[in-house]
Amino acid sequence: MRVDHVVRCNLILIIILILSISTASAFNRYDENIYKGDGYQINNYFIEVFSIKSYEDNRLLTINIYKLKSDGTYEELIVTREIISNKKITKYQDGIVEIIVKEKNCTSTIATVDITALGIDVENFQPVKGGVLKAKFIGEPSLLLTKEVDKTNVEIGDTIRVTIKAKNVGTGPAKGITLNHGTTPGFTFKSAIYTTYPEELAAGNPDYTQMYIYEMEAAQSGTFTLIPATVTYYCSTYDSEYTSNSNSPVITVAKEAVETSILELTVTPDKTELRRGEKVTCTVSVRNTKDVPASTIRLDMIYPYNLTYESGCKDIKIIDNKPVIQESVYGARYENEYDYTFLANEVGIFNITAKVSYKDGVNNIINETTSDMIYVVEGEYDYLKEYPLYVYIAPIIIISVIAGWLFWRRNQFKM
Amino acid sequence: MLNILIVGAGQCGNRILDSINNKAFGGGRFSKYYSKQKFPSRVETIAVNTAINDLKEMQYTKAKDRLHIPHLHGVGANRIVGKQCFIDNKDLIMRTISERGNFDVAFVITSSSGGTGSSFSPSLIKELKNEYDFPVYGVVILPFREEGTIYLQNSAFCLKEMHNSGTDGIILGDNQFLKYAGTDIQSAYDGINSMVAERMLFLLEALDSEMMMVTDLGDFKTVMSGGAGIATIGFAKGDGNNSIKSIIQESLSPNGLLFSSNIYEEGSRAMIILRGDRKYLNIDDISGQIDKLSSHIGHVFKGVIIRSGEIPKVLSVITLENTVELESLYTLAVEAIQMEKEKHDRMALQKETGTAFSKIDGLEPQY
Repeated sequence: MRVDHVVRCNLILIIILILSISTASAFNRYDENIYKGDGYQINNYFIEVFSIKSYEDNRLLTINIYKLKSDGTYEELIVTREIISNKKITKYQDGIVEIIVKEKNCTSTIATVDITALGIDVENFQPVKGGVLKAKFIGEPSLLLTKEVDKTNVEIGDTIRVTIKAKNVGTGPAKGITLNHGTTPGFTFKSAIYTTYPEELAAGNPDYTQMYIYEMEAAQSGTFTLIPATVTYYCSTYDSEYTSNSNSPVITVAKEAVETSILELTVTPDKTELRRGEKVTCTVSVRNTKDVPASTIRLDMIYPYNLTYESGCKDIKIIDNKPVIQESVYGARYENEYDYTFLANEVGIFNITAKVSYKDGVNNIINETTSDMIYVVEGEYDYLKEYPLYVYIAPIIIISVIAGWLFWRRNQFKM
Repeated sequence: MLNILIVGAGQCGNRILDSINNKAFGGGRFSKYYSKQKFPSRVETIAVNTAINDLKEMQYTKAKDRLHIPHLHGVGANRIVGKQCFIDNKDLIMRTISERGNFDVAFVITSSSGGTGSSFSPSLIKELKNEYDFPVYGVVILPFREEGTIYLQNSAFCLKEMHNSGTDGIILGDNQFLKYAGTDIQSAYDGINSMVAERMLFLLEALDSEMMMVTDLGDFKTVMSGGAGIATIGFAKGDGNNSIKSIIQESLSPNGLLFSSNIYEEGSRAMIILRGDRKYLNIDDISGQIDKLSSHIGHVFKGVIIRSGEIPKVLSVITLENTVELESLYTLAVEAIQMEKEKHDRMALQKETGTAFSKIDGLEPQY
């Protein structure tokens, strides 16, 4: 007896719950005032006060119900009309969809109605002036999703910031948006910077909405195409779920850099203008800028034909008639300077190049640097070469004759 | 053109001869290298000396004109030795002179006090007079009086021998009188040599000028034949401002003469040569001075050499009848000879009476 009582109570509760649910799905608008020629849109259904005709003291209200189409047209639906207590009731029914418009009052210009919609998950409802011609079709949403990275060439261990944005390019609102940023193998998610993306995006906004920002760390080398971010959303108008994917940026991850040595070179001549026959001393400065030693160092000087190597510091050896410096190791942050003295043989403009080759710990490196331009102008007495031979022979002959004369004359007076 | 021989004997003669050659070259230190000697005549110069160093010191006389008479390094102011040396080398000297050709006149320049010049010159003049018929004149430089007894007696005997050698005249210069020519002894000697050389060159020009109103060798011979055969030369030059009158007076004054003399009192004959631009040579002034001189001494030969743009110069040659200065020199010379004789006698007596060395005669050293 007691069990029956319990079962009976449960059944009652279930019935009450079912009834409450079905009641919740009904859409009701009461005492809605609609002017003649205007209407009321519920999703893509449009209730229009088509006409209010008067005769004697009565008013004859005509309500039309349309269904809006995606191409901008509309279809007038077949409705049933009945008059109860001198009030017109207009009803449309198609399957579970049922729209009932009950006249409550009516003047020659305005009608007060109660609207009930069943079987419709109402998302959009509003009065519309101008009637069905002014109604707008409510379409499906379409989210355009972008995935942007702040850098595309990184090394292992580098952090990349990823920004996901979305824009509703459809004609209907996107609701219930959920986002999956898409984790790409080879990267480690580090942290989320921005996560508060909206659950709903209305159509028609030309700007992107920031959805999600996160940082990830490159964990492997290689070229990676990021897995696109995904959003899912639905539109109750059509009772559909949608999915949109973002683009897939490509990121190249280089191997982690190995620390190597770098030898920097400078060549500084003590003068940049000199006369032929003069000497110029070039100071070559070599500096290891890293904490890794360089090995198997060879320093060569490349100089033009109009220079002759004269002398230099003690470290210089002559190999194949060229000054060469060879060192086994330059330690970390090692610096040294070498002086080379050259004799300018010919007039001209030239520069001197220092070329260093070494092993940086991984590879064989060749580095070159060139001095400023060095101008060799004519020597102080070069102009003498321009004169014909007789200019020199004649004075020599004259001097010789004079010297001979003096010698002869002197001997005349010498006892 | 005259052919003139100038012989410089001994150190003094060599140096005066060298100075003459230098001035003939133009006077510059190096003029001998680029210049030609500008003697108005054909002049042959020969330097004779027994001291080769004196010959080597000559700078402007050609080596071929330097005759070294080998006798160690001079005769040491000993005229006896010098005269013997000349006799021994007479042929060499005379051959050297004869190789130079014929001459119209000769001058032998020497010091009276030294060795070679003092002893060679009288003998050389005598030989020249014996061998040739051209006039030979001695140009003798007297010593400083304080130079010593030997030089004084040498001078006395040199002058006497030269006077007796047949010379056509002796032109005196006096170091004692000219010693203020320089600030030190060397510059004094150089100054004296230069003064004598300058006057000699002027004289040579005066003897061989082809211009009108000039003197010639004949005039010079006449002048030099006057008086006692002793002459001196006066010289002065203007500065462009002073008159020719004053220049003539200066040349005749003790300042202008080579030998101290009062020519108005002691002169016998004179020859005055004036040279310079015409504008300086006022004939009235010249005549006035010539007349003044001739009124005192007799005949005065006058020569004028016109040189455009040249300041006036005056050379005077005056022969002397007697000279107080020479008398005093001989007085000193006599004293010097006496002093030397007394010393000589003393030494002879000392040699006879014995010296400190004679005290150990007959003794032997004991060890």
